[in-house]
Amino acid sequence: MKNQIFLIAQKELNDVARQNSLKILFVIITALLGFSLYAGFIVYKQQLTILKTAQDEKRAEWLDQGDKHPHIAAHYGTFVFKPKTLLSLFDFGLDSYTGTSVYLEAHYPHEFMFRPVQGYGNMIRFGELSAALVLQLLLPLLILFITFQTFTKEKETGTLKLLLSQGVTLRSVYLGKLLAYSLIFLMITVPFFIGLYILGVLGNTRAVLSDLGLRIILLFFIYTLYLVAFTNFSIWISFKSSSARNALLTLLIFWIGTGIILPKTSANLGETLYPLSSIKKFKEEIQNDIKNGMTADESKEKRLAQLKARYLQKYQVDSISQLPLNFQGIRMQEGEEYANKVNDFHNAILDERFEHQNKVGSLTSFIAPYIAVRNLSMALAATDGYSFNDFKEKTETYRRHLIRTMNKDMAENSHFGEFYEYKVGRNLWKTISDFRYSTPAVTQLFQYYWMEFASLSLWVLAIFILIPSSNKNKIL
Amino acid sequence: MKLISLLWWREGFSIIRNTFQMLLLFTTFLLGIYAIYYGYSKIEAQRKTISYVEHIEREEFEKYRKSFDKSPVSIQEKHFFDIASKPSYAWYRHEYNAILPPHNLAHLSLGQRDVEPYYRKLTGMSLYYQLFENELANPLKLFVGNFDLSFVIVYLFPLLIIAFTYGLFAEEKEKGMLPLLKLQTIGLRKILIIRMLFYYVLIIGLGVLLSLIGFFLSKEIDTLSICLWLLTIICYLSFWFALMFFLISLKKNSSSTAMSAASLWLLFLIVFPAVLNIYAAVVYPIDNTTIADITRRKGLENEDDLKEAKAVIYEYLEHREDLKGADSLLDTNVMAKTYAAFTSLNDHHNRQEVLDYLNQIRLRKKWISLFRWANPAVNTQGIFNEITRTDSGTFQSFYQSIDSFHKNITSFYHDKLFMNKQLKQKDYKVIPQFNLIVENTSINQTIMRGLIEVMGTTFLIFSFSLVLFKKITL
Repeated sequence: MKNQIFLIAQKELNDVARQNSLKILFVIITALLGFSLYAGFIVYKQQLTILKTAQDEKRAEWLDQGDKHPHIAAHYGTFVFKPKTLLSLFDFGLDSYTGTSVYLEAHYPHEFMFRPVQGYGNMIRFGELSAALVLQLLLPLLILFITFQTFTKEKETGTLKLLLSQGVTLRSVYLGKLLAYSLIFLMITVPFFIGLYILGVLGNTRAVLSDLGLRIILLFFIYTLYLVAFTNFSIWISFKSSSARNALLTLLIFWIGTGIILPKTSANLGETLYPLSSIKKFKEEIQNDIKNGMTADESKEKRLAQLKARYLQKYQVDSISQLPLNFQGIRMQEGEEYANKVNDFHNAILDERFEHQNKVGSLTSFIAPYIAVRNLSMALAATDGYSFNDFKEKTETYRRHLIRTMNKDMAENSHFGEFYEYKVGRNLWKTISDFRYSTPAVTQLFQYYWMEFASLSLWVLAIFILIPSSNKNKIL
Repeated sequence: MKLISLLWWREGFSIIRNTFQMLLLFTTFLLGIYAIYYGYSKIEAQRKTISYVEHIEREEFEKYRKSFDKSPVSIQEKHFFDIASKPSYAWYRHEYNAILPPHNLAHLSLGQRDVEPYYRKLTGMSLYYQLFENELANPLKLFVGNFDLSFVIVYLFPLLIIAFTYGLFAEEKEKGMLPLLKLQTIGLRKILIIRMLFYYVLIIGLGVLLSLIGFFLSKEIDTLSICLWLLTIICYLSFWFALMFFLISLKKNSSSTAMSAASLWLLFLIVFPAVLNIYAAVVYPIDNTTIADITRRKGLENEDDLKEAKAVIYEYLEHREDLKGADSLLDTNVMAKTYAAFTSLNDHHNRQEVLDYLNQIRLRKKWISLFRWANPAVNTQGIFNEITRTDSGTFQSFYQSIDSFHKNITSFYHDKLFMNKQLKQKDYKVIPQFNLIVENTSINQTIMRGLIEVMGTTFLIFSFSLVLFKKITL
């Protein structure tokens, strides 16, 4: 049986090689893949230089800001720029739609600014060419064109009956075809991912991405599974269809429906079901909670009175001017801590909304495997929403640490009532280490993307169900 | 005429009998309805936010105005009256909003309204500190884009055209009808054109029907926009019919025609724009890190140093010749004046950097727009956005209008602050108003140019195919 499968696979490959239009398409797709990778690499390199220069500049500005009061330094603050991950050259993911820099200062956790999408015209909404886009949408179309008449033609010309009458099982024919067409896309993906692996793991790259090697291997497996599932589905449709025309129409509808229409409708539906508030209201609610408190006895005045009482009692003094610490610093930090609590509360609600919105898409991935592979691909490239959130959280932790250090110094070293008289310098600025970012371990992705993994696994499992069994030789 | 009605009846019957084609039509119609609903709900949400923002602003200024009616008693009232009457507080406490209201047809083509901010809170503080805040948005949703009517027309309608027409010639051949048809006195080309015309009327009719439903939801009827919208649909869909006519003229079998049509669809709607976008990013990289710094909140190193403070004010007054005499009034409200001068100077110093950044964007957009004519799909999407004023150009105008609005706000307060004048109740009648300056004539010219380009391409393809059909023999 093995020999039969190989023979059939060889025959299929010869057939494909004879069709000039398919050869041209194959070349076009390979060229697009090469171009997208090259362009992705250039953009990655450009951004890497820009971001590194900017980050170094901001670090120098922080260290060389001169002597000043720590609270002024906390407002002067610093900036963090979202680093490009190496795999962003393969899959840009949401990089163009998330902000690229954030200003870290006291009191206000600013939103990320400058979405790169704002730097294009209307055309950007048609998408950017990345290697991931080629593998997710264009390669399946090539597979579709190659496979749609694989069975229908055999049925029309009668060769299938001939084969079966010679003792070849339907299963062998099916598997032979699956093997042949899988080899075609593997001819593209294997060298591509080996190249990416060499570039990423062996090349000298800045380590923003954790588990880079593992990520590339996982990417290879995910794309292989996706393309095998797609190939199998196409062959099955050809097997089930009465004519080549019907097979082609069904497959094209599937490709457009699951690759273009469903991803958009599901995301839009998610937004309709879980609408977002405006930034104006969002910020107002936060400011309101900071001022009036999240519960009735937590208003700004009450919190201050409680803080005062606590410190007077702790140090057994009658007035805050007698405290061994500068109460202004204590008060500022208390304000920060409460604002952090309020911000965390509101951000958690917002993140939950985003998650609900995205879950609609994840659920749709059971019908549309494209969504599963798209989400997993950007997750592995660390250009997805969760990676962005992780980066955002880490910048916020860094901001809080910076402000806490400034307030602590003010409380411990300056006197009550003095402000401009008290100055600190580089020695304090140095205690804030430079911001370094590394993505979370790849294993953490499973908790966010289990639905996508499940969807892709189901599509692959379908192979075993769809492949005709060896004792079934009835032609449909 | 008899022939036309005969062939059209035949096509009509064949559609009704063909469940697949009926399903396609019905699905597209339903998707169109959902797209209109989605666009409408999105724009309604923006309208609500806008009216909320406007309401807050109106209420706040009304309170300021009314605070002059009676003498303040409590500490809170006194503080509020200070904010209402003293420019030293008012210049940074009074909050204005610059608003880009949605066009009447914005729900049909959302364009950049989800990506770009459509309202901006402004005080007399540094413009750039306030200019770059983004609206809340799910990045995945922004990436996927909007399912609005323009998407249905630009992406899905061509597929409908392909599905209905790819087999018009080849299927007759495959069914063995061709020899029979050739026996007729009417040419094959004529029969084909008449049959295509049936689908032309049907599909354009569907597009017009959906648009009418969309227009029905508009707050006001704007005849010019409606006419342009309908004309755009006709031009764009004509282009796809011409393209299909070209493919049919090649007289390949139905599968080849369908494959070529799908490939062309992919080329125009995905590959071509995607390649251009990434190439634009390579050729015109944009560095926004340089202007990140201008959003930084800066202050004086030492507020107690009067000499430093006055130096800042003098520097500012050098740029404000209209505030003659203000330098002799420095001793009142020194700190407020210093900060007002300081932020204005900051904006002044940073202006060039911002202009350079905006210029980088302008150059990239200009380069991308050079290729617009070559892709009717991109061209049409651009036209739809321009008709509904959701295009990136309109947002650029919005930014520019914000710039001059901010200038008006600062002048309004600075004039009083530096001349030691108080705000009076009557001043609230002349507070700065946001004026959106959109160059309608230039937008309409771009629309017309776009339409002519699509029409030109359609005409060329159609004429070429007419000749080709005759030349290619089976």
